[in-house]
Amino acid sequence: MTIRGRTAISGMAELKPLIDAGGRSSMELLAEVAALAIEDAGLKKSDIDGLLLTPPAEGNGFMWPAQMAEYLKMSPSYINMVELGGASACAAATRAALGVAAGLCKHCLCLSGGIWDPQVFNDQEGKTAVMSKAEMEYELPYGPMGFNSAYAWIAQRHMYEFGTTPEQMAKIAVDQRQNALANPEALFNEQALSIEDVLNSPLIVDPIHRLEIVRPCSGAAAVIVSSSEIAADMPQLPVFLLGMGEACSHNSIVYSDNITLSPVKDSARRAFAMAGQGPGDMDLLSLYDCYPITVIITIEDAGFCPKGEGGGWVESRDLTYRGPLPLNTHGGQLSFGQPSYAGGMSHLTEAVRQLRGQAGKRQIKNHRLAFVNGNGGVMSTQSSLILGRDRA
Amino acid sequence: MKEREKESIKDQEDRSLSIQYCPTCAQYIFYPRALCPHCWQGVPEWKESSGRGKVYTYTVVRKSYLPEFASRVPYIYALVELAEGIRLPSNIIDCPVEQIRIGMQVELAWVQGDFGFIPVFRRIEV
Ligand SMILES: [Zn+2]
Repeated sequence: MTIRGRTAISGMAELKPLIDAGGRSSMELLAEVAALAIEDAGLKKSDIDGLLLTPPAEGNGFMWPAQMAEYLKMSPSYINMVELGGASACAAATRAALGVAAGLCKHCLCLSGGIWDPQVFNDQEGKTAVMSKAEMEYELPYGPMGFNSAYAWIAQRHMYEFGTTPEQMAKIAVDQRQNALANPEALFNEQALSIEDVLNSPLIVDPIHRLEIVRPCSGAAAVIVSSSEIAADMPQLPVFLLGMGEACSHNSIVYSDNITLSPVKDSARRAFAMAGQGPGDMDLLSLYDCYPITVIITIEDAGFCPKGEGGGWVESRDLTYRGPLPLNTHGGQLSFGQPSYAGGMSHLTEAVRQLRGQAGKRQIKNHRLAFVNGNGGVMSTQSSLILGRDRA
Repeated sequence: MKEREKESIKDQEDRSLSIQYCPTCAQYIFYPRALCPHCWQGVPEWKESSGRGKVYTYTVVRKSYLPEFASRVPYIYALVELAEGIRLPSNIIDCPVEQIRIGMQVELAWVQGDFGFIPVFRRIEV
């Protein structure tokens, strides 16, 4: 029995990302976005009986789902935390669909986000908090620069194997900024970028420049997953969950057999198979973008072009909301910002907006099907989703 | 006892590099584990590595937030593929950052760093 089309996203909300949360706590942001999401869905608080959270951005994470349920004074029948790094938000939607389809809950709220505290992020403890024992022992002594150097390794090898160029990678940041200019909610939405601007920004870890690195910030996002039958009678146009696929092949990129080939090839294949759709059917790409190389590899491994040709693919196309197959129309995390784990939910909320036809100035013309991908760690955990405006 | 002392891949006395090998499925293992991760059957043995390999990929770190490395930039942070097939994160020393290339032949060296006496690699002139 498949869960294809049995559930839909019936509500969603997103706070505007901010560099400074003005002294507010993660719980405050999550509560605010939860209230906005049930309003969007036309639900009351008492209708929500499922709660899925991504990990907290600050403080003590012990019993985090119960902490948050208590803060919100909820008593859900289905509750959990999903920790797949940047893939957590898409994976939460999948787990919400499972809970709803199994009858464990009726309306499942997926909550993500929190505050960005430079004090926490910049001290040694914060830097090593995300490292495994193996990373501490075998990587730290050599001076890695966190995710930056890991993705730099991938980009360098991709350039070596396939001839991918710095200009091709920069193009992604440039086109996504064009999209952000049409998004009043984006963190960086005032100034267009040129490829020269990107390549003239400081090299941080070869071949990655400053303008190709995601910007952490504060914010939150939420989606509500309901059964398709119920969603059909709710105020918003339902966005059906037609395909879901996951994959994981490593934690640290050191242990990937082939660092230019990601588990997206499995997660996307599984999602397309469930949906009964292929890459050629998609109207929108909403792809986790911590760095441009992440997007290039996702495009290749999801089957939008042959392996190794992602650089040429992005170079030859208009990736903006005006183009034939738009990419990250909200600006992507590179321009929208990365509000903790809600950065990975922004690809999902934007796809919902576009499929509903609520994207305003950046609304795409054809908006029937979207491919959404969440990526955790260093091309480690993958959660792919196919969303559709039609149930079948 | 000898096995317990060898929990680390570093063998400081003879400056060789020991890596794990599974006698059951005949594959090398990195990082060290108590049970072979390939077959879940073999108990890993230690073997001396050839200490030779090539650069699988690299980056030049131009800005580091780690206080121990802030004054060393730019430096080469690389993933070295040993002749035995396993890959180790490491630094490439005695190589100007402009000259580092994927595929470059390298050999084992040892340096005293802020994190102890650690195996690194240096380019083999060919
Ligand atoms: Zn074995």
